[in-house]
Amino acid sequence: MLTMNNISKSFITDDVVTHALRDIQLHVNEGDFVSVTGPSGSGKTTFLNIAGLLETSSSGEYLLDGEDITKLNDSGRSRMRNQKIGFIFQSFNLIPDLNLFDNVDVPLRYRGLNASERKKRIEYHLDQVGLASRMKHLPSQLSGGQQQRVAIARALATSPRFLLADEPTGNLDSQMAQSVMSLLEDINKAGTTILMVTHDPSLAARAKRQIYIKDGHVSELTQKNSNLHLVGEA
Amino acid sequence: MSAFFTQLELGPMFRALMRNKIGALLIALQIALTLTIMVNAIFMMQQRSEQMARASGLDEANTFYLSNTVFAQNYNLKTALQQDLQRIRETPGVVDATQINAIPLSGGGWSMSLQTKAGDDIEGTGTAVYMVDEHGINAMGLELIAGENFQNSDIGWREEGSTQWPPKAIITKALAETMFEGDWKNAVGKTVYIDNHQPVQVIGIIKALQAPWNGWNGVERSMLVPQQLDSKGSRFFIRTEPGRRDELMPVIEKMLAESDRGRIIRNVTSMEQTRDESYREHQATNTILLTVIIVLTLITGFGIIGLAMFSINRRTRQIGTRRALGASQWQVMRYFMLENLLISTAGVVLGAAGAVGLNIWLVSTFSMTPLSPVLLVIGVIALLIVGQLAVSYPALVASKISPATATRGRA
Repeated sequence: MLTMNNISKSFITDDVVTHALRDIQLHVNEGDFVSVTGPSGSGKTTFLNIAGLLETSSSGEYLLDGEDITKLNDSGRSRMRNQKIGFIFQSFNLIPDLNLFDNVDVPLRYRGLNASERKKRIEYHLDQVGLASRMKHLPSQLSGGQQQRVAIARALATSPRFLLADEPTGNLDSQMAQSVMSLLEDINKAGTTILMVTHDPSLAARAKRQIYIKDGHVSELTQKNSNLHLVGEA
Repeated sequence: MSAFFTQLELGPMFRALMRNKIGALLIALQIALTLTIMVNAIFMMQQRSEQMARASGLDEANTFYLSNTVFAQNYNLKTALQQDLQRIRETPGVVDATQINAIPLSGGGWSMSLQTKAGDDIEGTGTAVYMVDEHGINAMGLELIAGENFQNSDIGWREEGSTQWPPKAIITKALAETMFEGDWKNAVGKTVYIDNHQPVQVIGIIKALQAPWNGWNGVERSMLVPQQLDSKGSRFFIRTEPGRRDELMPVIEKMLAESDRGRIIRNVTSMEQTRDESYREHQATNTILLTVIIVLTLITGFGIIGLAMFSINRRTRQIGTRRALGASQWQVMRYFMLENLLISTAGVVLGAAGAVGLNIWLVSTFSMTPLSPVLLVIGVIALLIVGQLAVSYPALVASKISPATATRGRA
């Protein structure tokens, strides 16, 4: 479903070249739940942004659902994000001036769905995260955990094949984090492929696959006798 | 089509605006105020421009006048006048000349009231009075459209302090229409009364001749009477062949001055200069009004840019999130342009009401004609365009915000 061949990303600032990612090779199958860990500044967010089409790679080939993303223009990437990818952000990224209904509605409008279809999806997914009764509330009236649930509902409303989660529990207490993680596991069981960046080893361990990024290189980890071992590039 | 309207996000956009009213409300009020002032200022400029564009009836491009002030003792005014006029008319390039008591559009002149019936208690029609001889019509370049000109035998002398009026007059079409309820052609041969009781027969109609006062609502009402002033101060009105006015103005001034040392020739002025001076205040007012319109429009435009830039800076993360969720650059740009359109629409609706209200006050206070709805519509459209132009740059900036802002910015 997701294949990266020799993906590299470098940034140039004041004639200084910083290599954020170097020759990434990665294949993610449909239905995978992949956690991405690594130290701060290792390139996790850059990796997630390229995987989610939020930024482009400097070189390499990226196939999503068989389509070569590197050949798409900005408009094509926007359409692809809307149709195939759902995003969950660490800071939830709900739009503060919109109520929960309108927040979940945002990507559905970009999809161009009609009003009744949108309403059906919004109500279904807000109900799925236990917030159907609060759809007229503003994000500021909710707890952090509830806001992240709304963000999950928004991500799922477009029925994405691929869910990208950037530190989804980073701003939540442990109880809320467990709850959100359980929700993600349920979503994965229902068939959605998930790529999750996290700092939390215990949450990362709950994924089917774990990859580790350091200095722009990606390695796959396997769990043997409760110890993680690098097994080479993923 | 349905998908297109869905993507416009008008409902959520409106609800979001309602939750952040202050900035939008201030801009809407600024737009409203600008429209109110702009439309009425344009209306006032339009009225002044229409006034300035009115034809005086004269051959302005080829006419000028001068003052003749006699200071010599034992001076034969009547003989000197005839000699002066004769010399002027014989000057090569001069078409004709006449003595005149007042100059159109100059701001100073004579006026009387004309009545269709004699009597002290009969309401009359105000008219400017020009005293000329039989050369008057030709010298001024007027167009006689009915009746006849004065004969030499009609011309009489008017002594200083006299209250007697000659028995004949030529009036403008506008004066005839006012006095005879629009039937100006039938005015020829009719008797009207001046100074309540003195009968005057209308012998001719001229197409147009404006009064000396451009702001008077009866500026088109004038009459010519066949009289020459027996006065030490008089004016000569001279018409030249096309294109020779400027050349002949100093020639005639010098010729008159040298021909008789018992008087002073001064104030040699063309009719075009007189028109310019007459409407100088109008032109200054129009310039001020135009400046006000431009400044107000710029302030409004900059206000819109400022609010939009502030709003975009405040919502950078939000815009990045929208991009991450699938908004294209065009959809982000359109969002801000539509948001401005909503605010501007509220502003122009308020402003249109304000413009009409202000116009009603102006009309009732200054007896102006009402505002044209077309002008209001043009004002509304112009401000909506200004709003869209002003917001286009900030909207473009917003559209360039990377979707990666959704994950990188932590604000």
